[in-house]
Amino acid sequence: MLAVLSVEVRKLNRSLALLLALAAPSLIGIFVFFNMLRGKAPMPWEMWLGSSTGIWAFFMLPMSVTALTALVAHMEHGPRAWDHLRSLPLPRWRLYAAKAICVLALVAAMSLLNLALTYAAVSAAAAIKPALAPTGDPALVASLTLLGKVWLAGLLMTALQFWTAMRFASFVPALILGIGGTFFAVVATVARAGVFFPWQMPVNMLATEAWRVNTALGLGGGLGLVVLILAVAHLAHREML
Amino acid sequence: MSAAIETRDLTRRFGRHLAVDRVSLSVPDRAVYGFLGRNGAGKTTTLKMLLGLLRPSAGTARVSGLDVSRDRIGAARKVGALLEAHGFYGNLTGRENLDLTRTLLGLPASEIDRVLEVVEMTDNARRRVSDFSLGMRQRLGLARALLGAPPVLVLDEPTNGLDPDGIADMRRFLKALPDRTGATVLLSSHLLGEIEQTASHIGILHQGRLVLEGELDRLKAELAPEIALRVDDPVRASAVLRTRDLTLSEQGGELIARLRRGEDRDRACAGLNRALVEAGVAVFALAPRARSLEGIYRQVASPAPARPEPEIV
Repeated sequence: MLAVLSVEVRKLNRSLALLLALAAPSLIGIFVFFNMLRGKAPMPWEMWLGSSTGIWAFFMLPMSVTALTALVAHMEHGPRAWDHLRSLPLPRWRLYAAKAICVLALVAAMSLLNLALTYAAVSAAAAIKPALAPTGDPALVASLTLLGKVWLAGLLMTALQFWTAMRFASFVPALILGIGGTFFAVVATVARAGVFFPWQMPVNMLATEAWRVNTALGLGGGLGLVVLILAVAHLAHREML
Repeated sequence: MSAAIETRDLTRRFGRHLAVDRVSLSVPDRAVYGFLGRNGAGKTTTLKMLLGLLRPSAGTARVSGLDVSRDRIGAARKVGALLEAHGFYGNLTGRENLDLTRTLLGLPASEIDRVLEVVEMTDNARRRVSDFSLGMRQRLGLARALLGAPPVLVLDEPTNGLDPDGIADMRRFLKALPDRTGATVLLSSHLLGEIEQTASHIGILHQGRLVLEGELDRLKAELAPEIALRVDDPVRASAVLRTRDLTLSEQGGELIARLRRGEDRDRACAGLNRALVEAGVAVFALAPRARSLEGIYRQVASPAPARPEPEIV
């Protein structure tokens, strides 16, 4: 399995997927930097890191997962590499499992990068305008914990996007699903039922009501893992015509 | 000779369409087997079943004695394949692409240099595949198929995209492969000339069915000899020849006399010439025709011609 994983990682070399993994968190960092420079009074670290995580969970994570899974799948669909890969003497589920792990690791890395770049953006803006230097403690452990929960709650959404991107050679179905999911998550943010909607589960980690956090975390993480395993099993077993 | 690849009643349906119909082929060990057929004849479907990419609707496929349906991974260990879709990653170099497959196969790093040397790609392998010509991709695909020196090679249209020199190199390479490495080669192509110069055995697939299979030289030898004639009066010549034990047809302004199988061509030539001259027919040219793979192919896999050529008996 380690060999298959290392192959997946090496495929990312000079790829668009890697570029996306760098670009998406950078956009949030850039936004935070200029937003802070517009301010008149210093704000606490908690506010800056919290709003960055909010933007990530609310919009950038669903869109990034959509694009990332489509790009990773297209690395095989584009050059029609599946026939070669699936004819090799190794269990096919490993190919798909390695891809899924690679996607999840990239999303985790993007989450960490989001935190790091936000921290850097706030520090850079404070260096330019020392009067706006954030107050209080950055509480990085709490921010990391929150990002971890967002990542876990996003597992169901990631599994659905992953299956769709791998199943269809065209990237259109995966994009429609991702854009549609994000759209409904954005326009129906306050809906109580949103906690059951995969694309809204990550942002529910910022909810003040405990039941919303627990429900979204349990469903997103638990059901997400089951769906991911089923997706890998289905993709490995199906015949590609 | 034992069979490196063997299928028995191999069948594959796609809905109501029967793509491969009870194909029983046998590729002898260390043979270069030319797998011929028109587009849509079922060649790629058959190859995909041999590689375990498609499940047969019925029948069995064996590679080096291993049933592909029951032991796909075991059978796959015996096969290196060059498929029509190469599946290379354009963002990586040729060497990096080979290294991915090498890692998945668990082979030592030295394998890459070995296979690159075999296909004479050592100098170009550090370039990105997106900059490769189709011919270079084809050779890189062949190098990838050779990783681990598998005893069976399945090559789908290996001369696609190669220039004339590249085709000649590939032909020499494939022909020498069984002696150099002991490998068996199953070669799918629609280029009859290429197969004729490369293959030791052939199988012809027509509308999903294997209509002919065997050793190429033997198949050619078994064909009835033919004599081509160019005369001043084909009608009179036909009337003269009609009395003899042969089949007469006309092709491109020539009369073609097909003799009985096993009949001596030289004696027949002399006899035909004498009969025509005695009947006052001027004979411009009279020569035995070399039996080609194309002739064999046309006999067993030709579609119904739009304008049937006249057959004069």
